[in-house]
Amino acid sequence: MRTLLTSLVVTALLTAATLVVAAPEEGKAPPPPADTKATPAKALAVTLLPEDYSCTFCHADPQTFSGDTKHLLVTAKDLAGDVHWQKGLRCHDCHGGHAKLDEHVDHRADSTYRGPRSPGEIPGLCGRCHSSIEYMRRYNPSPRTDQESEYWTSGHGLRLKTAPDDKDVATCTSCHGHHGIQAANDLQSRVYPTRLAETCAACHADPERMKGRTYHEKPLGHNQYADWKKSVHAQALLKNGDLSAPTCNDCHGNHGAVPPEVDSVANACGTCHVKVATLFAQTVMKHRFEQADWEGLPGCAACHSNHEIRHPSDPMLGMGGEAFCSRCHGEGKGKYPDALAGKTAEGMSKELEKLQRQIAAAEQSLDDAEHLGMLVRDPRFRLRKARDALTNARSLVHGFSLGPMKQAVDEGLEVAVSVEQDGQKQFDEYAYRRIWLAVSLVPILIAVGLLLLYIRSLPVAGR
Amino acid sequence: MIALGVKKRVPIHSSTLFYFLGGMALFLFVLQVVTGALLSLYYKPSPDQAFESVQAIMTEVKFGWLIRSVHSWGANLIIGVLFLHVLTTYMMRAYRRPREFTWITGVLLLGLFMALGFSGYLLPWNELSFFATRVGTALAGKVPVVGAELLLVARGGENVTGDTLSRFYALHVAIFPLVALALMGFHLYLVQKHGMSTPERLPRGPGWYYGLPVLAAVGAVFPFCFANGLALLGVSLWKLLLVASALLLVWLYLGQESRPAVSHPATRVGAPKYDGPSMSFLPDFLLRDAVGWYLALGILAALAALFPWGLGEKASPLSPAPEGIQPEWYFLFMFQFLKQLPGHVLGEWLEGETAGVFFFGFVGLVVLLVPFLDWGDRSRRLLNVLAAPAVVFFIVMTAWGWFPDDPHLSVILGTSLLLGMLLLAVPFLERGQTARVGLWILFALGVLFLLGVIADRRWGLGTGHSLTERLVLWLGPR
Repeated sequence: MRTLLTSLVVTALLTAATLVVAAPEEGKAPPPPADTKATPAKALAVTLLPEDYSCTFCHADPQTFSGDTKHLLVTAKDLAGDVHWQKGLRCHDCHGGHAKLDEHVDHRADSTYRGPRSPGEIPGLCGRCHSSIEYMRRYNPSPRTDQESEYWTSGHGLRLKTAPDDKDVATCTSCHGHHGIQAANDLQSRVYPTRLAETCAACHADPERMKGRTYHEKPLGHNQYADWKKSVHAQALLKNGDLSAPTCNDCHGNHGAVPPEVDSVANACGTCHVKVATLFAQTVMKHRFEQADWEGLPGCAACHSNHEIRHPSDPMLGMGGEAFCSRCHGEGKGKYPDALAGKTAEGMSKELEKLQRQIAAAEQSLDDAEHLGMLVRDPRFRLRKARDALTNARSLVHGFSLGPMKQAVDEGLEVAVSVEQDGQKQFDEYAYRRIWLAVSLVPILIAVGLLLLYIRSLPVAGR
Repeated sequence: MIALGVKKRVPIHSSTLFYFLGGMALFLFVLQVVTGALLSLYYKPSPDQAFESVQAIMTEVKFGWLIRSVHSWGANLIIGVLFLHVLTTYMMRAYRRPREFTWITGVLLLGLFMALGFSGYLLPWNELSFFATRVGTALAGKVPVVGAELLLVARGGENVTGDTLSRFYALHVAIFPLVALALMGFHLYLVQKHGMSTPERLPRGPGWYYGLPVLAAVGAVFPFCFANGLALLGVSLWKLLLVASALLLVWLYLGQESRPAVSHPATRVGAPKYDGPSMSFLPDFLLRDAVGWYLALGILAALAALFPWGLGEKASPLSPAPEGIQPEWYFLFMFQFLKQLPGHVLGEWLEGETAGVFFFGFVGLVVLLVPFLDWGDRSRRLLNVLAAPAVVFFIVMTAWGWFPDDPHLSVILGTSLLLGMLLLAVPFLERGQTARVGLWILFALGVLFLLGVIADRRWGLGTGHSLTERLVLWLGPR
C-alpha cells in the first residue's frame, strides 16, 4: 500500500514537472528589435529648408493652399524619396524664380519663373535638364537625353501639340509625378515595371477620359489594363516577379509610346520571342496580316490577342471548335477557306497530340516503376529531351509548315518511346526480382524446416 | 570451443525467447559487414561521385540493388533488435551482479550502432541524408564550452562538405566497426564467463485467455467513454504521454503488490547456480538460433526485393532544406522532442536545444549506470518509474515524428508499438496476478482504440464530431 502511495506521489510530481516545462511562454512579448541602423523613412527624411527660403514661405503652408489649390502645397512628406531633392536640387532649380525671401517677386510678373502654367509647357520644363547631355552627365555617366524628343513623337505628344491645354493628355508628370519623383529603378516608383501598367491605367482604364479618344481613327478603348491583367505576361510579372515579362512600355515604348503599327506588332513580340518571330516573318501569314483588307488584329495578335495574351494551348491549333485556324480556314467559315491550310493545321495538331500522349505514357510508366521502388533517374532525365522536342515543335507551328514540325515531333517520339521501354524494363526487373525472391525463399524455408525437424529429433531440451 | 559450447547451458523459461535477440544482432552484424564490404568495392566517397556510385550500384552492378537494400534494411533491423535486446535485458534484470559490465558494453554497443547508422546515412549524399546530417551534427554545437570544437570534429569543418563525407566514410567502414568488434568481443567473453542470466520470477506459462471476459465487458462502453469523455479535457500530447505512463506505472506496481510469484530459490540475487530446466548451447540453442537467422535472412531478402531502398535526389548544398526532412527512425524521438522545446528554458540563460542535449545525455548516463542504481527491490521500482515513461516517450515521439502531419497514422503507429510493448511484458507476469489482468485490460483498451482510429481514418465516424476530431481536440494544439 505504501509502495502504491509512493508511486502515485512520484507520478504526480512528474506530471507537475512536465506541465511546467511544456507550458507555452504566454504573456511574454518578444523584445523589440535593436535599432542598429536607420530606417528607410529616416534615410529619406527631408531636411528643412532655411526659413528665408521663398518658396516654402507660401507653398509649405497648408493654410495658404487648401481646397482647390491644395495641389500647390508641397510638404516634406511629398519630397521624401524625391530623386531630384536627393541630388541636391531645390525648388528654384526647376521652377526658377528667386530663392531668397527678400528677393521674392510675384510669379505672374517674374520672367525667370518657370511654372509650368499649362500641360504643354511640362515636357519643355523637364527637358530643359533631361535633354542636356552636359547637364545630365553630372549625375549619370551614360544618360539618355532623348526623352523629350521621343515624347513629341508619341501619341501623347502628338495630341499635346494640337491641344496644349488638354489636361487629360499624359505628360511627364502624369507618369513620374511632380514632387516625390523616384528613380525608375526604385521599387516604389510609379514607373517601376510592376507598377507601370497601373500608372498607364490611371488614364487608359478610365472610360470618361478615353471617351472619344482615337488613334488613326480607331477608338482607343479603355479595356487594355483589364485585359492585360488576365494575360500570361501579367502573371509572370506580378505573381512570379519576373521583371523580364513585358508591361505596357515594352511593346508600346517609353516616352515615344504609340500602339505598334501593323508591321511592328510582330517586331514588338519578336524582341523576346525571337525564334517564333523569325519563323513567322518567313511565312505568307505575316504578309496576309499586313494587307489593307485585313480586319482582325494585326500580326501575332491575330491569334494571340494584343493585351489579353493567354498561355497558348494545343487546342488553339487545328480545325476543332476552339482552334484559331478554323476561324478563317474552316469549310464554309471565314473569308479564307483553304483546304490545304486546314489539312496542315489539322496535321500539326495531330502530331502534337501524338507526342504529348507518348510523353504522358512514358511518364506514367516511370511513375509506376518508381512507385515500386525502382530507380528511374536516368530515364526521367532523358525524357526532358522529349519535352524539349515538344516545345520545339510548338514553336515550329509558327512556320505553318508540316514538314519541319513533324521532324521535331519524330525526334521527341523516339526519345519518349525509348523511355517508356525503359520503364517497362523496370517492371520486368521488379517481376524478375519477385520470382527470384520466391525461388530463394524455397531453400531458406527448406533449411528452416529441416532445422526444426532436426531439433525435434534431438533429446528433449531441459532434461 | 565446441566442448565449451556443449557444456554451456541456457535456462528454459517463459522469457527464453529473449535470449535469441543477442544472437540475432550478431548475425545481422556479420551480414552488415559482408554487404558493406561488397558495397565498398563500388562506392566512391566524394561529393561528386558518391551519389552516382550508389546509383550505379543500384542500376548497373549485378545484384547491387540486393546488396544495398539488404545493407540498408539490415541497418534498421539491427538497431531495432538491439533496442529490444536492451529492453528485455532490463526487464529480465540481467544486468545484476556480476553482469554489470556486460550491460555497460551492451549499451555502448547500442550507441555505437546508432552512430554507425548515422554515419552510414550520409554516404549516399542525397538530399535527405545531407540535411539530416546537417541538423544532427548541429546538435553537437549545442554542448556548452566544447560545442564549437565538437562541431568542427563532427563535420570536419564549419559546414557539411566533402570533408564530412570522407570523415563519415572512415568512421563507418573502419573506426566504428573496429571499436564494435572489440566491444562485441568483450561483451561475448563476459556472456560466456558469467553464463546466461535468469529472471527472478519464473511464471508457469502464458494465460492470455484470462482477460477475455474483462475485454468483452469493457469493449462495449470504451468508444463512448474514451472519445466523448476525454475530448472534453482539452489536454496536450504531453499529458497524453503522462496519462499513458501513469496507467503503465499503476499496473506495474499492482504487479509488485501481487502474490509472490513462483520463484526458484536458486534464482534469488546472488545465487551461485541455476538448476532449473535448461538446454545446451550447442547444439540445442544454436540450432534454434539458426532458425531465427534463416528467417531473418528471408525477411531481409523479401524487404530488399519488394521494398528496395530508395535513393532520392542528389544533395544540393546551396539549396534550402526540402520539406519533410527527418532522421532515421531511431533518432526520431530525439528529433521530435527537440522540435517541441521552446527557444529558452528556465528563464533566458539556457537554450532549449542545449537543455534537450543535456536531457538525453543524462538519460544515457542513467541507462549506462542502471546496474549500479539497482541495489534492491525498492531501487528497482524507482527505476521502473523512469523506465515505463521512457518507453512510452520513445514510442509516442517516434510515431509522432514519423507522421507529423497525419494524426491518424501517428496514433495508429504509436498505439501498435505500445501494444507490442505490453505483449513483451506478458512472460514476466504470472497467471492470476492482478497486473496481468491489468495488462489485458490495457491491451483491450488499446486494441479497441486502434480499431476506432483505423475505422475513423477509413470511413469517418459521423459528421461534425468524428473520433479523430475529438482526439485532435483532446490532444490539444501541437
